[in-house]
Parts: sequence; C-alpha cells; structure tokens
Amino acid sequence: MMLSPTKLEGALDRLLLADANALDSKDMTGWLTNYAEEEQASYYCRAAENTEHNLELGFMFDDCRARLEDRVIYVTEIWAGTFQDYRTRHFVQRVSHRQVDASTAEAMSNFSVFMTPMDTGVTQILAAGRYLDMVRLSGDGRAKFLSRRAELDTSVLPRYLVYPI
Amino acid sequence: MADATLTWPKNYNEVPKAAFTRSDLYLEEIKRIFHGPEWHPVAHESELPNPGDFRTIRLAGIPLLISRDEGGEVRVFYNACSHRSNQLETAVMGNKTEFECPYHRWLFSAKGELVGCPNPREFVPGFDKADYPLGQPRFDLFYGLIFVTFSAETEPLDQFLGEAGETLRELMAGDGRLKLLGYQKVRYDSNWKGYNDNDGYHAPLLHAAFKMLNWQGGKGRQYTATKRGHVCFESALSVASGPSVLKDKDLIAFKGQDPSVGSRIVQLFPTFVSTKHLDVINLRFATPIDAETTEVHYAYFAHQNDDADMLRHRLRQSSNLLGPCGLISMEDASIFHRIHIGSHTPGNAIFQKGVRDPAKLESEFSQNDESGNLPRWEYYRSVMGFERAQA
Repeated sequence: MMLSPTKLEGALDRLLLADANALDSKDMTGWLTNYAEEEQASYYCRAAENTEHNLELGFMFDDCRARLEDRVIYVTEIWAGTFQDYRTRHFVQRVSHRQVDASTAEAMSNFSVFMTPMDTGVTQILAAGRYLDMVRLSGDGRAKFLSRRAELDTSVLPRYLVYPI
Repeated sequence: MADATLTWPKNYNEVPKAAFTRSDLYLEEIKRIFHGPEWHPVAHESELPNPGDFRTIRLAGIPLLISRDEGGEVRVFYNACSHRSNQLETAVMGNKTEFECPYHRWLFSAKGELVGCPNPREFVPGFDKADYPLGQPRFDLFYGLIFVTFSAETEPLDQFLGEAGETLRELMAGDGRLKLLGYQKVRYDSNWKGYNDNDGYHAPLLHAAFKMLNWQGGKGRQYTATKRGHVCFESALSVASGPSVLKDKDLIAFKGQDPSVGSRIVQLFPTFVSTKHLDVINLRFATPIDAETTEVHYAYFAHQNDDADMLRHRLRQSSNLLGPCGLISMEDASIFHRIHIGSHTPGNAIFQKGVRDPAKLESEFSQNDESGNLPRWEYYRSVMGFERAQA
C-alpha cells in the first residue's frame, strides 16, 4: 500500500529526527534501533569526493547489521575513556523523497553538524553534507533505515570521529 | 632576524616541549626541512592510473600538480601558471590532458609545455613559449611512490631511503602495483612532530581493542635507517584469537597470501607514515598547515592482482580498521591532540620505554619501544642547529 503524502512525510521526518536525537544524545543503542532489523541494514560515512571519483572507501563502512551492532560496541566499550569527548548537534533538512514500493521509500536530506569539544567549549562545524537514505516502511506507518549514506562535503575532517554522523 | 635557537638537553631521550609549540621554530623548520634537502612522498602513481589523470596537493604551503600524460609518464609540477603564478588547477583530482590558466588563457600540456597563449606579439620582445614551461620541483619514484624535494642538494632517493626502502617495498605489496581504494582526510590539532612521534609508534596500553579481542602482537623488530632515523617495524602477522566481542570477524581477518609480511610500518623523516596491517595497505601523506595543525591524507590501496572478493575485503577492512575513526587507531588521533596540548608546559618530554642508556643512540629496538623515535630527534636537532647541553 502506498502511504498518503502526509503520512509518508511524517514517517520520514520522525525517523530523521529520531536519528539526530539519538546521535546528539550519544545514545548508540537508540541509534541502532533506527535501523531495520534486516541483515543488509547499512550505514556509510564517506567524503563525497571519494564517491564522485568512484572510490568506495569511507570513514565508516558498516555494510551489514553485524557491523552496525559492532559500532555500538566500538563507541560504548572499546573506545570508552580514550578520547576527548565532544557534544554534537545535527541539523537535518529533508530536500526530496519518493516512495519506491509499498515497503520502501528513498529520501535525501541536507545536514550540518556542530561540535563542541568538552575540553575547549569552543563550537566548530564538524561536517556538512547529504544523507542518502533507503527507508523500510512498516504497515503501521513506522520507518527505519535500510541504508543510510552520509556523503560529506567536508572532505577534510577537522578532527577524528568517534560517533557516526 | 637571528636564527631561532633552543638549548637541547644532554640526554638523547629528552626533547624540549618548546620544540612542539614555538612558532619561530616552525618558520625555521619550513625553511630547513620542508623546503630543504629532504624527500617528501606526495602520492602513489596508482592514484592517477590513467593517461590524463591528475592530482593537486599542497605540501608545506607549496601547491603541486601531479599529472600523467597521454603517453603514461608521471610528472610533478608547481601548480602555478608560469606567467603570473596564478593557481593553475583547482580540482583535487580529475582527468585532463591540457591545463588552461583562466587569467590570461595560457595553456599547458600534461607534459608541462606552454602550448598556447593569446597575443604574444604584445609581450616582451623576443618572447618564446619554450621559455615558459610549468616549473617543476625535483621528483623521483620508488615502486610508484612519488617523492619531491625542493632542494638541489638532496642526495639521491635511494640513499635517502637506505635500509627503509626494502621494508617500504614489502609494505607496498612487494612490487608497488597498487590500486587506489580511496581517502580519509583529516586535520589534527597537533604540531607535525607530535603527529609523527605518535603515529607509527605502538602504544599497546592505549588500545583497548587489542585486549578485548585477545589480540597479541606478532613477533617482530623495530629499527631505524639512515642518519634521519626513519623508523621501520617488521612483524609477522598476528590474528586475534579466542572469543571476540565483534560480530563481523572479517574486520580483523587476514586473507592475504604471505603471513610473513603481515605487518609493516615505515615512517620517513619528516612526516610520512605508511603501514601494511592485515590486508590494509595505507600510505599517509601528511603536511604541516601551521605550528599547531597537521593535515593527513590517509590513502588506502588494494593490489592490482586482487580478485573481486579480496578487493571487497580490503575495502571493508580499510574503511573501519585504521585512520581517524578506525577501530584500532581512533585513540591515536586523540593522543595527537592531547600531546600537543600537554606540550604547552615547561620542560622536556622524557622517553622511557626501551632506553637502555640516555647517553647513547641505538638503531635496533623492540617492537613497542618508544626509543625508536630518538635517532630522528637527533637528526632534527642537528638540522635545526640546536646545541646539545654538555654532560
């Protein structure tokens, strides 16, 4: 069944905001729940410069559900206590979308991410770019990411990344 | 202005923290080291595999254009028009067989020849296009790795590399026939020497991943080569054993052919670091931006003979294992920043691990010794002309 335009926009925007909220709250478990529970669920974070030159390598290349689950472990267990922590604020703006079939939609959004390292307190821009999302729609009008690609205009990051973008 | 001076401690294992922070020293380093008689890797030729491919970078401020001409030959030019020095090419990479400066429409071939310029009759009498090719620094290739130097005095590249050349060859899959997978680029809030001191060097206590994955280091050696103290690590492959906290085991799997070259690191003076770990081949092209900032381009490679499965494996492993967000190296990146902040305090950084005698320099080390950095510091001191305090 195809969703009404209002319902589809509502479902997509709730997902976009839920992801921004999970990331900015450093809630990695919450971040994971925004992804479909399917083996091919994926998240990529990559400089758009690479993509434009057919270079697939990314900053983060989580091409299956197992890797998404591993990323939660990286942040919450393996890296805990080793980095200078920072706050982020994601600003996300959906710019286009379409429903592909009854259970799938695709969406493109712009993002900008501010970061404030805890030790300096000076706010900087961490990255700007676009999300290219493939979204799984369920019958009850909920949406989850089947695939999210964060394509960064920022080809040179201003610091190392701990959390996904 | 008089040359910048700094009194160096008498012990070889002590480095004045001021060396990381003083901006007057930085200006002198640019002159003596980055624009001086040293070789700097700037790209691997596999980053421009096809005729007409080009790349641009800036090395210590100097804009460079690396291009492959129609016949397949790779050359390095200054990325500046030979007329008024307008930046010639603005793209970071692409494919062109001619480069046109938009300012006065001077046109250059991929060989660097000035092939056209409008209205030359209005120029200085006797103007000849042949006198205005693109300027070039000296450059040379080692298994495809492209080096430049801005000094006529620099010794030949093979002498510069010394024994490190063999380890570097092994690191680049033995034959340098690489295939580019892509880049991770980042700026670190660190002086270039702080980056260099802590990138190649192993600090096993820092990396919780090794412990959590039951990952013991393989047996190996660390040695330094030439008077510059290039640091090389050679170790047999080690693979994590026992239960893993990771669901995707391929991240730390080895699928290559030869476990004896499982792990290699080559760190060349002044800023280049390269590593081959598991199936990751990573060349890190670094340049100082200012005294407090270092930009690093992590370039990752496969081998030209890889089949589709191996290519995919390298891509998946390279993206998530090393680099500024890699499972086992994100913490390194944070150390670059924190060392730099901490270096704005008085006194000396004192190296401990592996230092058997502070009055002596050695060239063979254990794998996790921090003393492997000391020959490079002695070379730095001598290049900068700093006097060592008397015993």
